[in-house]
Amino acid sequence: MMLRLIVPAIAVVLFYLEPVFGLFSPLDIGGEYRYLIPRFLIMYLIFISIYYNRNRAMAYGLLFGVLYDVFFLDIIGLYSFLYPLICLIASFIVKYIHQHLIITTVISLVLVTGLEFVLYQFFLFIGLTDISLQVFISERLIPTMLANSIFLVVLGWAFKYVINARLLQRLNQPN
Amino acid sequence: MPQFFSNKRLILLLVGVIFLVALISFSLRDRDNVSLPEQIIKDVVGFGQSIFSKPTHYITGVFDNVDSLLNTYEENKRLKGRLEEFAKLQADVHDLSSENTRLREIVGKEDDLRNYEPIQATVIARNPDQWEKKLILDKGQVHGIEKNMAIITAQGLIGKVILTTPFTSTIELLSSQNPNYRVSAMVMGEKEIFGLIEGYDDERKELILKRIDSNIEIEVGQKIETSGLGGVFPKGLLIGEITEVSTDDFGLTKMAYIKPAADFTLLDHVMITKRAMTTVGGSEEDSTATDDAQGDEDGS
Repeated sequence: MMLRLIVPAIAVVLFYLEPVFGLFSPLDIGGEYRYLIPRFLIMYLIFISIYYNRNRAMAYGLLFGVLYDVFFLDIIGLYSFLYPLICLIASFIVKYIHQHLIITTVISLVLVTGLEFVLYQFFLFIGLTDISLQVFISERLIPTMLANSIFLVVLGWAFKYVINARLLQRLNQPN
Repeated sequence: MPQFFSNKRLILLLVGVIFLVALISFSLRDRDNVSLPEQIIKDVVGFGQSIFSKPTHYITGVFDNVDSLLNTYEENKRLKGRLEEFAKLQADVHDLSSENTRLREIVGKEDDLRNYEPIQATVIARNPDQWEKKLILDKGQVHGIEKNMAIITAQGLIGKVILTTPFTSTIELLSSQNPNYRVSAMVMGEKEIFGLIEGYDDERKELILKRIDSNIEIEVGQKIETSGLGGVFPKGLLIGEITEVSTDDFGLTKMAYIKPAADFTLLDHVMITKRAMTTVGGSEEDSTATDDAQGDEDGS
């Protein structure tokens, strides 16, 4: 019973932790700003999508995407579209390759990079930013990806462990 | 290779995309108030968020304290040097303010654009993706927060309220790229010179003050404050200092780059300023609205 709740509970905790880490960003390093954008939740959802259940991951993606849009962005439909889409892409990719932890980690990071690019293009398109691609890569993308890969390397195995435990429990009691 | 999309799925996807584009364009419009479901989500998520962020503030506070303890000796030496200067300044300020009150009594004018009631608030979240420069505060309509109120820290102005729900409010920082974001400002000097803060230079990390009359001389190093003429902001909130003066794109008016006095990084506790004098129009950014409001008053 506990295990049943723990998968969504981790997602909720990660959702709330993201803006807490966001409070420390941008980092002011020697007069240059570096934006570390936490993408914990979507990486966790990618893990769920790969190891557990694609539809479940997409449903969580939609739910948290809507919350994210309403609470932070006031642009409804951006994250609530991108989160499920990324879960879908992750599950397609994993059909053709082995589900090893390292490969999953790499796929998650590649997809998060993709997400950052799509968001950059979107905000460039609606005119909320005018930074050049070069500045985007050095100020945002590289610090973000460094921070997120550290997070995933540290906690990726834990995600896999929890999800596998839940999966085993589910297989043992089919109902 | 299996077929990714059956016809049914394809149609579902297309309908979804159309629906989302419609939603995005709906929410991108300038909206005056948030709809009820949004308010409920914001309040509920905001409540959970403050449970997570308040301990974080406590922990960073402890670190800050340790940090400042380490600097105490240095700082004390420097401050002692300035103490004498301060005593003189305080005497001057006291003298001037008592004179000001006396003169006000003579003229019979009690209200002042400068007066405001500060409301303390804690930042519970900062938009994690940082494309829009937004913060969420833990005070809302029930605490008397209204749209367009100015937000300050001890150093100076940082932004204004753009949305309120009963228990949270969203603020947009001065460093926003939003083209509709304007603040009526003035240059402090012998005379008060008025201009508008319009835009933020992301690479220089400086604000841009535009629409200054080209006949007026302004200098590097002069201080910029809010003018209080936009209708909602109180007068005299420090914005920053001029670092460069140039003419604008058309050569008709001057513009100046302003280094903000306040730091936009690592914000935790802020103050919302509630102006004591009646607010006009209700929109700092939209001068036509205030004109309309004044027109109405004239007509009635």
